[in-house]
Amino acid sequence: MLSVATTCPYCACGCGLYLLANRGELVGVAPSENHPVSQGRLCARGWSAHEAPSWGGRLRTPLIRKNGRSESASWSAAMDMLASEIGRLMHEGKAIGVLGSPRATNEENYLAGKLARAALGTSHLDFCLHSSFRPLMAGLEDVTGAYCGAASLADVEAADAILLMEGDLARAHPRAAYSVMRAVDRGARLITIGCASTQMARLSAVYLPAAPGCSGDVIDGLLGGVVAGGLEDRGSVSAWCDGYEALASALSPAEQTEQLRQAVEWIARANRATFLLAPSGASGEQLRRDAAAVASLAGITGHLDRQGSGIMLLLGRSNLRGACEMGVAAGRLPGYLPLADRSARDRLCSLWGKELAAGTGGDAESFIESVSGLIVVADDPASALPAGRRAQAAMEKMEFLVVLDAFVTAAVEMAHVVLPIASYAETDGTLTSLEGRVQRCRAAADPPGEARAGWQALAELCSRFGLSAPYRSSSEVLAEIGAAVPVYAPAGQAGEGWGGAFVGAVRKPKANVCASGSQPITYAEYPHVLAHEGVIDWGKDPLVAFSPTLNREHRSRARLNPQGLVEISKHDADQLGLRSGWHVRVESTFGDVVLPAVIRPELSAGVLLVPYAFRDHAAAVFAGRDMAAVKVERV
Amino acid sequence: MAMAQQASAITKAGALEWLGRLMEQAEVIAPVAGFGGDTVFSPLRSPAQIRWDFENPLHPPKQTLLPQTDPIVSIQRDGDCYEVLPIYDESPRVLFNIRSCDVKGIAFLERMHAADPPDASYLRRAERTAAISLSCVAPCASCFCICTDSGPFLRESYDIQLTDLGEDLFVEVGSKKGEALLAGSQDLFRAATEPELERRRELEESARRRFGEETCHFASAMRRISTGRVAEALWAKMSDWCLECGGCNLICPTCYCFSVKDRGSDGRLVRCRMWDSCQYPAFTLEASGHNPREQRKDRMKRRFFHKVSAQYYMRDGAIGCVGCGRCVKVCMGTTDMPAVVAAIRKGSWRG
Repeated sequence: MLSVATTCPYCACGCGLYLLANRGELVGVAPSENHPVSQGRLCARGWSAHEAPSWGGRLRTPLIRKNGRSESASWSAAMDMLASEIGRLMHEGKAIGVLGSPRATNEENYLAGKLARAALGTSHLDFCLHSSFRPLMAGLEDVTGAYCGAASLADVEAADAILLMEGDLARAHPRAAYSVMRAVDRGARLITIGCASTQMARLSAVYLPAAPGCSGDVIDGLLGGVVAGGLEDRGSVSAWCDGYEALASALSPAEQTEQLRQAVEWIARANRATFLLAPSGASGEQLRRDAAAVASLAGITGHLDRQGSGIMLLLGRSNLRGACEMGVAAGRLPGYLPLADRSARDRLCSLWGKELAAGTGGDAESFIESVSGLIVVADDPASALPAGRRAQAAMEKMEFLVVLDAFVTAAVEMAHVVLPIASYAETDGTLTSLEGRVQRCRAAADPPGEARAGWQALAELCSRFGLSAPYRSSSEVLAEIGAAVPVYAPAGQAGEGWGGAFVGAVRKPKANVCASGSQPITYAEYPHVLAHEGVIDWGKDPLVAFSPTLNREHRSRARLNPQGLVEISKHDADQLGLRSGWHVRVESTFGDVVLPAVIRPELSAGVLLVPYAFRDHAAAVFAGRDMAAVKVERV
Repeated sequence: MAMAQQASAITKAGALEWLGRLMEQAEVIAPVAGFGGDTVFSPLRSPAQIRWDFENPLHPPKQTLLPQTDPIVSIQRDGDCYEVLPIYDESPRVLFNIRSCDVKGIAFLERMHAADPPDASYLRRAERTAAISLSCVAPCASCFCICTDSGPFLRESYDIQLTDLGEDLFVEVGSKKGEALLAGSQDLFRAATEPELERRRELEESARRRFGEETCHFASAMRRISTGRVAEALWAKMSDWCLECGGCNLICPTCYCFSVKDRGSDGRLVRCRMWDSCQYPAFTLEASGHNPREQRKDRMKRRFFHKVSAQYYMRDGAIGCVGCGRCVKVCMGTTDMPAVVAAIRKGSWRG
């Protein structure tokens, strides 16, 4: 029995675990008591981390599409075809895009970025989930200059007050939920903002309900409470915050509920407070303002520059932060630096020996419809991008589609060339957690068939397109990452133990504080809000879809609801005389759809949610927007 | 007294020699230094890896007898027929330096799998596995075996029980399998002396005293659970402190629930038994989509009914807990066995 210390590939908490292998087959998972994050604890996903690689639909040989049919091919034949077809598109001046992935390692993402910017000369570079998290990162950046908070899970556990802007923390990030629970158990005050009385909301001292898109009002209420009560941290405000006067005058003196007043007091008087942010169903612009307002709340109460306090972004995939920091993100260079950053461009240019592609490129959702060639690394755009069907249609008519993946996904089935790569369990590399820990994955088994490590395949692609890429190991790629992104240099030198090295985002010397403000969403004729439930759908992620233990619920839900579904509150269901499973017509100004309704008792009145997995069923009502004002009737 | 007649002793240096001989006959699995300061059960590569002073590994030796993924049947297509053959693992194994609680856990699993209908896949592997336990002279921080009659020293269920006397180990043989492990190594052992026997008794007494006054009060919880006198509201409240990780089940030495899944392709399949958790929402999900235990509180109630109720106590002859304290360490929430038992006894959660 082989027992290999590695990092959990699911959410971004960064737990450590042992993969157990018997005669080359992954057979189990064991917890580690000494891992600094997990400390012996794993969630259901972590406990099943061995399953998808060993039970999944795996790619074993390169595939080439000939006359509409996919056929096995040798690596050299697949590489030849790829090089000649992509070369032809480049020669014809057609656009090419590259998609990295939040489930690929830093090494894979870095090489995907290098391939795009230096070898293929394109700026069409992104990863699909970026659009869901980008607004929150931008909001934090607006205020603090740093795209990530600095709070650690240990800070959350030791906090006196916690503000949680919810998706559904207990389901999305069990390890972070554990920290919150420990804090609450110790007497910390938990304040949740969201549209459902979730498990975390039930544990909270105060639950502030807010329909999707309306959290801004609640955060402004908290800001207003601080200002009105004179509860701001004077030292921090004068030393640290620009724009306090404007913020104070912008807030209308709204009436303070007792709950809001209490929450304000807890946050302002806490020695240590942490602020947890997850994307809700709100629009990108609203999310950005909400994140900025939360950062401002932390700033004026002194919790931005205090040890043990701070903000945490609840990133939805194991290496979402790494994908950003490796620069496979629209508009960003490695280090998540702006494209225009001259010194970063110069550094990369001398490191790669090539001029970087010019232009801004656009994000995945837009360029997937405009490029003629697309190289997808370990992702399935149709299930990850908000406009899933449009992405699917765009890929179907793509002139040349290349997919590098360990698993058979919908994207693989459409690709002209498929390169089989190792899953996280069969490759060495690093993942960057939401805390900024750069931790190692270690191979516990050989990749199946002819599959190769992703970094090897991407290095070969780089050299096919004229870049020097003579790496002998993933560690050599990591060493180069250290040169491209200096904060990653310590990661390459970190010892063999648990935990890895930390990277941090640099803050501005002064924060620009501001309020959120939100636009009214509903109006008389369309009194309900329809939004997506969460933006993190695990059901189609191959690491869940191919795990016999983890996929049961998702599969059952998809099979039971072939027409999709909409979740409705008990209150609204009673108003309509509805029972679970009955159909409703949901209508916005853009269109309407008839869907089965499922009553969810904890949901706030007036809110309707469509699970992300079923978003395409309600596309007519959303019409490309994140949310919509709707009316509902029983049919 | 039986113990005095059978008891022998061996020096620790002699024990390493003995280990070397055992390793020639079987895979010897013992707690060793793992990665990053962890202690883990692992096949020994050399007797020198053995440790005499260690905290019981978090991942239990159950994994040896009941692996997380266990191939049990091979299915091969032959034209229109299928050939179905059982897969047996009959490699000889010795679990060395396992703790008393885990010996009791294995005895529990053995009873369960031997009950009608017997589970040959489990029993054949267990038949070839022997357990040499190291009694606990000092309890771990989170364990409570004294409340579950499964330690710190054993009076039964072990093949061989060792007690660390310092320079020497006190050796008690408890089964035929145990006798077989000594056969061929008698030269390394000598009869235990009366002072050594006395020392062993003292160590057991002092170990028992170190648990202090704080015990688990299983009896009171059992009365309440068995007679349905735990308020629904209390289950609901407690279940909000559970994150459904399933860790409590997976690391529990007495949990054995599983699901079955076929792996393979092209008409060659291997049917595997895989650890499952009654705390997972889909554990009781039926093909129709109906789930009789859709709510977490009902799943939690079920777990503790199986562990602690008189009904199961009568069937199994023991409660479904060996007091190892692993669930305390592994619980993602705060609903480990001692916490829930205390809440049931008091009738309130963390009040």
